[in-house]
Amino acid sequence: MDSDDGMLDAHDLESGEDDFYSGGTDDYNDSDADEPDYGFVEEDVDDSAMVASHRSQINYVVLKEEDIRRHQQDDIGRVAMVLSISEVEASILLLHYHWSVSKVHDEWFADEERVRRTVGILEGPVIPTPDGRELTCGICFESFRPEEIVSVACGHPFCPTCWTGYISTTINDGPGCLMLKCPDPSCPAAVGQDMFEKLASKEDKEKYYRYFLRSYIEDNRKMKWCPAPGCEHAIDFAAGTGSYDVSCLCSHSFCWNCTEEAHRPVDCDTVAQWILKNSAESENMNWILANSKPCPKCKRPIEKNHGCMHMTCTPPCKYEFCWLCLNAWTDHGERTGGFYACNRYEAAKQEGLYDEAEKRREMAKNSLERYTHYYERWASNQTSRQKAMVDLQIMRSEKLEKLSDIHRTPESQLKFITDALLQIIECRRVLKWTYAYGYYLPDHDKRQFFEYLQGEAESGLERLHKCVEKELSVFEIAEGPSDDFNHFRTKLTGLTSITKTYFENLVKALENGLADVDSQAASSKSTNSKPSKSKGGGGKGKGSSKNGGSSS
Amino acid sequence: MQASRARLFKEYKEVQREKVADPDIQLVCDDTNIFKWTALIKGPSETPYEGGVFQLAFAVPEPYPLQPPQVRFLTKIFHPNVHFKTGEICLDILKNAWSPAWTLQSVCRAIIALMAHPEPDSPLNCDSGNLLRSGDVRGFNSMARMYTRLAAMPKKG
Ligand SMILES: [Zn+2]
Ligand SMILES: [Zn+2]
Ligand SMILES: [Zn+2]
Ligand SMILES: [Zn+2]
Repeated sequence: MDSDDGMLDAHDLESGEDDFYSGGTDDYNDSDADEPDYGFVEEDVDDSAMVASHRSQINYVVLKEEDIRRHQQDDIGRVAMVLSISEVEASILLLHYHWSVSKVHDEWFADEERVRRTVGILEGPVIPTPDGRELTCGICFESFRPEEIVSVACGHPFCPTCWTGYISTTINDGPGCLMLKCPDPSCPAAVGQDMFEKLASKEDKEKYYRYFLRSYIEDNRKMKWCPAPGCEHAIDFAAGTGSYDVSCLCSHSFCWNCTEEAHRPVDCDTVAQWILKNSAESENMNWILANSKPCPKCKRPIEKNHGCMHMTCTPPCKYEFCWLCLNAWTDHGERTGGFYACNRYEAAKQEGLYDEAEKRREMAKNSLERYTHYYERWASNQTSRQKAMVDLQIMRSEKLEKLSDIHRTPESQLKFITDALLQIIECRRVLKWTYAYGYYLPDHDKRQFFEYLQGEAESGLERLHKCVEKELSVFEIAEGPSDDFNHFRTKLTGLTSITKTYFENLVKALENGLADVDSQAASSKSTNSKPSKSKGGGGKGKGSSKNGGSSS
Repeated sequence: MQASRARLFKEYKEVQREKVADPDIQLVCDDTNIFKWTALIKGPSETPYEGGVFQLAFAVPEPYPLQPPQVRFLTKIFHPNVHFKTGEICLDILKNAWSPAWTLQSVCRAIIALMAHPEPDSPLNCDSGNLLRSGDVRGFNSMARMYTRLAAMPKKG
């Protein structure tokens, strides 16, 4: 109702309300600047910490219903105490000022009179006090003895039956009941929680308290419900820090700002644009979502039931190809100049790959073809991510125990496997959104650098995903412990760590708007044996000078 | 049902008593149904409705007075907040700003006030609203006066 909607005032951020946040507001870049490029993940880091370790400080808290209730009650209690008013009045104030304790304090101490008038907390009756004679209820117009009459602070007389009817009607009209005023049309007096408690039916009261609880989240600028279906947790978010990504206890990750699924490092506008584009193109794209393609060699349909893009046709063909470019997997190195380049739209186009596919020939428009390229990769990573999530779940519920028995290894020492899967899940998410980013990236110089980083990250991820999906299966059916399993551990742990570094570089570069071409290229040197193959080198100078050569 | 009937009966008795007190409003309860009322209101002076008498129809819902009565003009009127064909009225107190302390009599008073002070920003009659919004008060007044003469005044001769 008030005019300050939409303005995030500084008080909200600076108040002492956020003492339950775990950390400060360290810059993201500082937090991991001195991490080595290689180096193995420490065994005792827990799951979520490992995936989140490359994020900025945790700047939010997940609240369960009982936490919400407690926080709400704490805020009410604090306002009541500081302002020396009743908790009922404190609730009225907080409802009016969208649950901002600091805002309530500021307004109240600036001009208590005005605040009282605006929110309807009167200091005394506005009509003459009854002199013992019968009073007329303002709704049913019947006469009552003064002790039968019920009033809020203003003193306007109504009978209990009419109050109950009035309160019940407003509760059933919706959450507006939280801001209820005296039935007298010109009276500003607020009707507080005590009246609902005293006069509403049990059923109505339940509805009222539901609205009251919901208001604490829905009318509060620093709170939001988790958008996952069926989840009843809320997120308390401290604005002003870097990332908008939050992760609920239900495991759903979403963007605080736009409530779409988490999409860091891509910004909300790009995501909104991309999602709109997808729904506009959804009919054209349906066929792409189909999970099978003909083997490029034998033409038999191959179903993609793994997360990694390295496909192997069934025997006797056994042709190994790339799901994305449909070329032989071994071609990747030579054809593309020594590195994985299936992420590159221009390369694929020049190779003439798009002319071969029948479906694509039908697509006359270049723009649709371009969109198709990005959409397919976006969607494939989404599918791969979901697959990895299922794998993780199965790993935790059954496979770990088996592996532990076979290899005589405590489950705690098999954490490198779940760590790898968690890393894959996170990387697929990032990679997926980089395709939306790439679709809207106009600058050609930046594009080269972007595609280089994306390609490196993607090839690392493919190696990791393949290792965990294919090489692990051997050990699941092994007879007993072997040295090979220890080698596998070393390999997988290493791949996990390297992939993590690639993605950190990618995320950092994208969050810098690809401004920092020089330092990024330098830092990727150590993770990549031949820096000279970076075609992005041509764009380096321009990219950095344009942005004043800032560095991290 | 009983509560609303009792309340309407009280209003009925009040109206009988106040008839002389408010000469601009004449509220009449239906002969057979206490939930149906009509009212004759006088167009406020110094408005294009001056000299006209307008008939309103009230349909009172069962939860009255917890819910507002439905009111519409039976007499044609050219007014931005009244639907020209149906007579439906756009007035906040008949919707979300209703209070059970209002009466049929006070609703009539609110409607007279609306006739004197149109709200062109929430128009039910766009032609009329547009005239006022574009600042053409003379154009609006002459249209409104014409309809008052046509529909709300006793025919001469
Ligand atoms: Zn009463
Ligand atoms: Zn009052
Ligand atoms: Zn959740
Ligand atoms: Zn977002």
